[in-house]
Amino acid sequence: MKVQVQQLRKEFGKTVAVDNISFGFDSGHIFGFVGPNGAGKTTTMRIIATIEEPTDGDVLLNGISVREEPELARKLVGYVPDTLPSHADITVHEYLDFYARAYGLRGRKRDEAVGAIEEFTNVTGIRNKHIKALSKGMKQRVSLGRALVYDPDVLILDEPAAGLDPRARVELRELLTLLAERKKAILISSHILTELTEICNGVVIIERGKILETGTIDEVLKKSAPRRTVSVRLLDPQRLPLLLKELLQTPFVENARQANSEVIFESSGDESAACEILAQLIAKQFKITEFRQAKADLEDIFMTVTKGGVQ
Amino acid sequence: MSRVLSNLKSHFANWRQWEVNPIVVKELRQAVRSWAVTGTLLLFLLVLFCSAVMFFVTQSFGVSTNQRMGAVIFSTFSVILTGASLLFIPLYVGVRVAAERQESDLDLLYISTLTPQRIIRGKFFCGAYVAILFFSACMPFMTFTNLLRGVDLPSIFFVLLCLFLAVCCAVQVAIFLACLPISRLLKIFVGLIAGVNCFWMTGMLTLWTSEMMRRGVGSMMSDRAFWAAFLTVCGLVFAATLLLHFLSVALISPPSANRALPVRIYMTAAWVVGAAISFLWAKNQNDARLVLPWAIASFVLFGISLVVVVSNQDKLSLRVQRAVPERLSIRAVAFLFYNGAAGGLVWLASLAAITYFVTWGVLTLGIFSSTLDPDEMSIFLTASAASVIYGFAYALTGLVLHRRFFAKRSPKLAGIFAVIVPAVWSLVPVMFFFFMNRLSTRDLEHTQLGNLFNIYVVNDNSQRTAHLLFATGWLAVMLALNFTWFARQLKNFQPLRRAKSPPPAAVEAPPIMPAAVN
Repeated sequence: MKVQVQQLRKEFGKTVAVDNISFGFDSGHIFGFVGPNGAGKTTTMRIIATIEEPTDGDVLLNGISVREEPELARKLVGYVPDTLPSHADITVHEYLDFYARAYGLRGRKRDEAVGAIEEFTNVTGIRNKHIKALSKGMKQRVSLGRALVYDPDVLILDEPAAGLDPRARVELRELLTLLAERKKAILISSHILTELTEICNGVVIIERGKILETGTIDEVLKKSAPRRTVSVRLLDPQRLPLLLKELLQTPFVENARQANSEVIFESSGDESAACEILAQLIAKQFKITEFRQAKADLEDIFMTVTKGGVQ
Repeated sequence: MSRVLSNLKSHFANWRQWEVNPIVVKELRQAVRSWAVTGTLLLFLLVLFCSAVMFFVTQSFGVSTNQRMGAVIFSTFSVILTGASLLFIPLYVGVRVAAERQESDLDLLYISTLTPQRIIRGKFFCGAYVAILFFSACMPFMTFTNLLRGVDLPSIFFVLLCLFLAVCCAVQVAIFLACLPISRLLKIFVGLIAGVNCFWMTGMLTLWTSEMMRRGVGSMMSDRAFWAAFLTVCGLVFAATLLLHFLSVALISPPSANRALPVRIYMTAAWVVGAAISFLWAKNQNDARLVLPWAIASFVLFGISLVVVVSNQDKLSLRVQRAVPERLSIRAVAFLFYNGAAGGLVWLASLAAITYFVTWGVLTLGIFSSTLDPDEMSIFLTASAASVIYGFAYALTGLVLHRRFFAKRSPKLAGIFAVIVPAVWSLVPVMFFFFMNRLSTRDLEHTQLGNLFNIYVVNDNSQRTAHLLFATGWLAVMLALNFTWFARQLKNFQPLRRAKSPPPAAVEAPPIMPAAVN
């Protein structure tokens, strides 16, 4: 399954919520969709899920256009919105059963699908509970179950981790990883960026409806944070001034300074440059107890590339 | 056509795999768990039981003293049943639909693969099933009244059938109102108005039930006129309910869908069937005047449709464009029935013109022995022509105002203008006279050109002719102002043709590493 977002544009009156964005992702990938509030993430996701119609551009799901054939496209997409199910007078099992029926599953096949999803999302124990009585985490599971019950190839998750406790977040991450292994193409938006760094293959950073960065996590990290901050500790802190002097004469080293009991510098080179610096220091008889690269994560990149602007 | 037939054939061939509409299953599951339904049902049964006990305690059961005991109790039960089912069931169904249609939190059932038709049908059938539940609960009490004399079984079943049909119709009205794209506050307001109307309808049905009990349905069943009247009312109610059904489906369909098509096809079909029935009725009675109800109802419906039609988007969505036929002759017909204000205007103009000329022909050509007298005919023909032309002039004025001053705003504004223009035009002179302290019946009877309602107030037919001429002039100016727009719409009504562009490549991401999760 290939998902291709092509020059997508969505206007609400005079406001341009999504401004000519293009990106794509494949089966087995978890793609992070990151941006400040009001950046256009939810609008884009709603367009992919065929809830909104784009003003211009298109989204192709294996070549099926969400603009021209939304009914067909709808069968391929499972959408978990940022709002939780709040239906009155209906149990978890009945809720999932309804969506299985709505997507055309019949008879025993439907019962099996609902049973399997209840097991997969771990809601078997609460299948006869009313949805309204569930906790946020449980409702999120039911919401995910609803999106998965007809086994769609694409999964769109809008802030699925919002409001979940740490355990529920870990479980959600595990579920998503399993789904990616089952060859689902997953687009996920979240404000908890450290989690996205851990599970996503690729990322799109969006602000004011425009894409700021896109690519695999490593590509984006490289592009957006070309310098690495390295801190070095010595067994004998007395030798720190000497180490500082040595580093200032070393290629790729910039902004070297002594801070408390360590020397911190920025390396403009790649991983091998860092290895060479370490080897050089060892060769010069510095007894190094710690050589630590502070790798920029998605949160750093997000803070660097976005300005926090909303529309 | 053959595709539709083969689909139907395979649908009926696989009847063993038919399943109940998922919406019906969901709604009924929710209904039986809902305190609103179970509580009302229990309360309803309690009221029925208490009324029955009250009768038993207070009434004498001697055959010689009260021959109409059964009819009186039945009437009381039917008032309770009508009140409970006509007020509660449409309210329950309407509130549920409105809650699911909230703009801020759209229920995902509207973006499942369920078609809008199935959703509306499911909601309607849920209302009908809940009504059956209420009627079944009431049935033992009502059949018991048959044992008490004064009411025959045909009356009981006929009245129950009519009440049930009235509840079904009210359910469809509630669904339609709940689907309206208006704010929650406005929906509550509209709901209150509908509720008041339900009270009024309950009263009317109660009176009608008493009358049926008094006369006895069994004795009327052999009368042809009784069945003719019954079937006519049923036909009209069924046609109105079906129209509301199609409108509800159109309202919940996405804007990019060809929402106008089913509504326009249905309205055209209903108009043709109405014409045929009216003509047969006129022929049967040999009275040309019997086509007038059809003509007047059609004109009123076209007037309302004009407001909806001019509120249509000008730009066709890709989905609609894909469905535009290649062949010119079929495309010409499709232009009338597909989304779009221009096609809709032509469609309505064609129907209005045919209605007018058919009525004119039937009234004047002497096909039937009875017809309107010449004065009445002249008034009818002039007034209806002027009204229709005014209607189109207002609609086109709405379009011009929208395009000139609010082109970037929603096309709904054109429809709003089409209502505001005649409203202002008719209210301003009245208010002027009122504030000048000169408002009298005679003043209102003066010719107020441009005021549609003035046509029906003026006394002299020459005043109506002046209206007709003014309306024609106004329409001509509006046609000229809309000509370029119309030509553009006609030109743009083309099947989808696109240049293929290479899609952007998917971002190549490394395979996922489960270890990273831990």
